[in-house]
Amino acid sequence: MLRVVVQRLLLLPALLLVFSILVFLLVQAPPGDFLTSYVSMLAATGSSVDLAQVEALKRQFGLDQPIYIQYVRWMESLLKGDLGLSLEYQRPNRELIGELLLLTVLLALISFVFTWLVAIPAGIYSATHPRSFLDYALAVLNYVGVATPNFLLALVLMWLAFSHFGISITGLFSPEYVQAPWSLARFGDLLKHIWLPVIILGIAGTARLTRIMRANLLDELNKPYVVTARAKGLSEWRLVLKYPVRIALNPLVSTIGWYLPQLFSGSLIVATVMNLPNIGPLLLRALISQDMYLAGSILLIYCFLTIVGTLISDVLLAWADPRIRMEG
Amino acid sequence: MKGKRHRLVILTIAILALCAGTYAPAPTHALAQAPKYKEAPMLAELVKAGKLPPVGQRLPEDPLIVEAFESIGQYGGVWRRGFLGPGDFNNYHRIVYDALVRYSPDGTKVDMKLASKIEPSKDYTSWTVTLRRGARWSDGTPFTADDIMFWYNDVLLNKDLVPAIPTWMKNKDGSTVVVEKIDDYTVRWVYKEPNTTFLLELANKDSGDRVYAVFLPSKYLKQFHARYADKAQLDRMVAEAKFRTWVELLAARNHPPENPERPTMAAWVPVTRVSDQLFILRRNPYFVGVDKEGNQLPYIDFVQFKFFTDVASLNLAAIAGQLDMQERHISLVNYPVLKEHEKKSGKFRIILWGAFGGGDASVTFNQTYTRDPDLARMFQNRDFRIAMSLAINRNEIKESAFLGLGEARQPVAAPWHPYYPGDAVAKKYTEHRPDEANRMLDRVGLDRKDAEGFRLLPGTTRRAIVELSVVPVFGPWPDIAQLIAKDWERVGIRTLVQVRERALHFTMRMANDLQAEIWNQDTSGFPFTGVPKYDPRSLLYGTITTGPLWKQWYDTGGREGVEPPAETKRIVELIDRGRTVGPREQARIAQEMFRIWVDNMFEIGTVGLTPLDQGVAVVNARMRNVPTKLAKDWPLRTPGNARTEQFFYKK
Repeated sequence: MLRVVVQRLLLLPALLLVFSILVFLLVQAPPGDFLTSYVSMLAATGSSVDLAQVEALKRQFGLDQPIYIQYVRWMESLLKGDLGLSLEYQRPNRELIGELLLLTVLLALISFVFTWLVAIPAGIYSATHPRSFLDYALAVLNYVGVATPNFLLALVLMWLAFSHFGISITGLFSPEYVQAPWSLARFGDLLKHIWLPVIILGIAGTARLTRIMRANLLDELNKPYVVTARAKGLSEWRLVLKYPVRIALNPLVSTIGWYLPQLFSGSLIVATVMNLPNIGPLLLRALISQDMYLAGSILLIYCFLTIVGTLISDVLLAWADPRIRMEG
Repeated sequence: MKGKRHRLVILTIAILALCAGTYAPAPTHALAQAPKYKEAPMLAELVKAGKLPPVGQRLPEDPLIVEAFESIGQYGGVWRRGFLGPGDFNNYHRIVYDALVRYSPDGTKVDMKLASKIEPSKDYTSWTVTLRRGARWSDGTPFTADDIMFWYNDVLLNKDLVPAIPTWMKNKDGSTVVVEKIDDYTVRWVYKEPNTTFLLELANKDSGDRVYAVFLPSKYLKQFHARYADKAQLDRMVAEAKFRTWVELLAARNHPPENPERPTMAAWVPVTRVSDQLFILRRNPYFVGVDKEGNQLPYIDFVQFKFFTDVASLNLAAIAGQLDMQERHISLVNYPVLKEHEKKSGKFRIILWGAFGGGDASVTFNQTYTRDPDLARMFQNRDFRIAMSLAINRNEIKESAFLGLGEARQPVAAPWHPYYPGDAVAKKYTEHRPDEANRMLDRVGLDRKDAEGFRLLPGTTRRAIVELSVVPVFGPWPDIAQLIAKDWERVGIRTLVQVRERALHFTMRMANDLQAEIWNQDTSGFPFTGVPKYDPRSLLYGTITTGPLWKQWYDTGGREGVEPPAETKRIVELIDRGRTVGPREQARIAQEMFRIWVDNMFEIGTVGLTPLDQGVAVVNARMRNVPTKLAKDWPLRTPGNARTEQFFYKK
């Protein structure tokens, strides 16, 4: 197994190189370039930009060079372990992505834990008490959870909070902590704000996982090994948890790989609506303004996370289910 | 000969009349003799602690005296605003309006700010700028003529930094205008021919839009300039900041919103960056302005811009009363909700600032469209354009898209502006007369219709289909496009509304691919300066699509592109002449230009004089000195022309 992990890790740079070219081409694909969207953005707030000024900016941003030179320029800095310079922010991308990435991962992880903590017990309960009142109640909640886009949920909650309590629940920090360096107080402030986005982000996943868990477990519960174990007098509680639950978890474990990047991109709209200092809005902004180095860097990080996530889920799967073999 | 002299006399009188209004009053005697200046408590503490020289030493000998809009203010407070990230840096420039001279609140004249006096020569070929003696940058270094000469010699004339000399710094023959230092506080601009738009141009050289301002902190910036800096050290700084060349480094370090270390002359200076979550400005202890009682301005301690990822959440914050004076990004559509909460919460009041002129949604046909010659011929037909104007029901647009605000009009200067061409021009072709439109369309050869009742292109069996491109940036433009399309289809012109992402729309505009578009005519008060939309030579970027290939014709001296019609050439002639004559003649020329513009329907106005673009101001109930009447436009840097330094919170 170690060999497989090492092999995969060795393949990583090559994969990233291929991805970097694809990502760059994709970001460049829409018509116009950074300057077009820059000028159109200025015009959309009332400015009218001089042509001479546009020429000066073109040179300043290096957009007078052909695309492959621009890619090589980005690649050069990538090879030096640096994500390059954002055209719009005029700041190194690493600096921009840094703290936002931390908050994004934190939000994703907490949502993930929340999802599992709620979904697994709920799934087990539903499967072991099928057609009970709570099972039906959970089913209704699940359907609503899957069917409601989470940004809509965010909007509704935000409006309710504002119209009934006069508070606007946006962002992850109170104003005084937005720019503050990390401290216990700041972390506390973060915890005060993070629960709502966590619920909103986690709710669809929770609903989906609950259904998957319930279905898988129901399949397992009627299998002969369960009947045998029960006949041998194993307590119902131990019985369910020890074997069927473990097997029913397989599909959940195998989806961790794409669950991570999905939480990142899935949070994009919610983060935009709720004004969360998350990497999602930064990516959105970079894509809209065709800030190719910034957008490329974020997308490359997504690719990296997907690869690593897949690896993690493979390893976990092998560990959770001995029937699965890993071969090179 | 006699006529010439006569003209010159009128010109002189006119210019003197203009200038009389533009000079700052001589230092008030009471202030000059007994400089008992007062300052904000937060600065007084610093002075007491020995960290700052006394206020008298920080102010110039002849400080700028700012008239309060309502009353003398009280110190303190934080002005909370919202912004949309680093691309929104002009939000900063509009607040501080950091320029040598600035437009008056009503936008009709130019007042002194950092300069104390600006005098033209008798023939208006040279302009002498006098700076305030003893004024200082926000870091305490003296503000002198060298700061202007650094801009001229080391920035403007440096091909790497400024690849193309801007129009206002070029003589007719293409040579660069000469700027010379007279003494430490006096600089002179020398033109080859008379120039009467100098003050109007200077009022916008404030580093808005990332254009280099005409005055730069030379002492600070020299460390980033290849001519002055040590090469090894400069290379190191460039590498550290991840830039390629010193040019990028200097540009970034020079732009105040990106660099809190750069000294400024503005009332507030940045302490964080525009790329941060909170962009914060703090009062400038060296600001040159005082009120009539000698209190150093600004009154408000801090300006705080909060980052919003989305315009809607910014608007929600405004409705919740979390923004103190915000007009930027407030959408007109939210006006009813804002009005409702104004009464309910009592936290803010709403002020409407009408447009300074022009139209808030106008239609332009591309007259140099090349992809379909039949269609192009149709667009080039003046009667067709008039018919399209008569077909539009402007009242309906006004009521449904502009909530009843504004008026139906053509895109020309506002009635209270000296350039106003009169009602006959402003209202021409604005009545809703579909029958007349039908008759005109029949007459121009569009008299055959297909089975569905749509008109066919003359001499073909193809339907005349117009694609109206619209960008959803200024409020309800897509809705307006739909209303116009419906009106046009009623007179038999099939219209496809294309709502496009703005970068795509701009790319198409530049590629001459747009057939017709909706944009605004917001700078009608400034046809001679900046980037006027009436001038075919400034087309394409952020302007309108009357004829992109006309511009090419002008750019290449007639070798490429399409020769514009006589009327367009006449407009260019008028604009050029307007730049050399006094205000009265200027007004006459502007009016003539507007007449040609409307007569030919180069642009079809719908509704104008509305607060659509940044004219709905949400103002904290306790904030004072915010004018209820204010001209609003980008050249005016609104709300910068409201003298933001005298805004204050009533305790």
